[in-house]
Amino acid sequence: MHVAENHILEKAILDMGIQTLIWQVTKKAFTGGIIGLTISDRFCSVVPVRGDSMSPTFNPQRDSYLDDYVLVDKFCLKDYKFARGDVVVFSSPSHYKERYIKRIVGIPGEWISSTEDVIRVPEGHCWVEGDNKASSLDSRTFGPIPLGLIQGRVTRVVWPPQRLRKLGG
Amino acid sequence: MGIQNLLWQVTKKAFTGGIIGVTISDRCCSVVPVRGDSMSPTLNPQRNSYLDDYVLVEKFCLQDYKFVRGDVVVFSSPTHFKDKYIKRIVGLPGEWISSSRDVIRVPEGHCWVEGDNKASSLDSRTFGPIPLGLIRGRVTSVVWPPQRVSKIS
Repeated sequence: MHVAENHILEKAILDMGIQTLIWQVTKKAFTGGIIGLTISDRFCSVVPVRGDSMSPTFNPQRDSYLDDYVLVDKFCLKDYKFARGDVVVFSSPSHYKERYIKRIVGIPGEWISSTEDVIRVPEGHCWVEGDNKASSLDSRTFGPIPLGLIQGRVTRVVWPPQRLRKLGG
Repeated sequence: MGIQNLLWQVTKKAFTGGIIGVTISDRCCSVVPVRGDSMSPTLNPQRNSYLDDYVLVEKFCLQDYKFVRGDVVVFSSPTHFKDKYIKRIVGLPGEWISSSRDVIRVPEGHCWVEGDNKASSLDSRTFGPIPLGLIRGRVTSVVWPPQRVSKIS
């Protein structure tokens, strides 16, 4: 009887230990998840590049198994002054849930020559174009975009390993 | 050694609490002050800035919500992207808005915003329709001062 009581006691303590362990692991996982979210929102995140509108800078091949993954820096949203040549991620002005990656080729106040006329980039906006002009949906179609749509600046390619490099400028 | 351990525990808790607070503020909701009287009398009916309203801005709407006419939203200014305005959506994509001299169609992916106090409001009548991507959140209720606590329709 003494031994049976000991067994029950040991089992109860073991159960509590496992419960505590699961709780500890859950807390750590939750905290880790929240920290990961904050880092992704405010510091930097890695996103895949789809399509070939930025060929040959990104996705020089058409095979989507070899899509580039790039590091997008979000610090620039606080103090940075966007410069010509920066590659940025922005929400589409016509479909706000979609995001595009293009290069800034015109900053506020500059003149851009379009197909038929010359356009001045308004205050607070920028003119974006893809490097592969033949296959790019950009400001030549939807006009200059407000800087408020920009969600981050691409700093480097992180995948695949043979294409690892910093973006110039 | 006990005090060091205590300090470390407190620091860890404070840091975690701070991170969780930032995440909640970015993705769930935050409280912001309303400046100016462009949304009078809905917000800031007096001109005294000591009595500025503080409103609850919910961010869940940025994921799945379809904005409707009448929503009061916070958005980045199209001309000065670091400034944020609070105005009401009065036109959705595809609708026609009559401006001072002509009739404008709200383009796909954009909305037409105006302040409730039309005499004193810098809004779409000046800077045109704004892309929905500039919206940062939706105002749901006034949380301060206590006598003005109410939901915004």
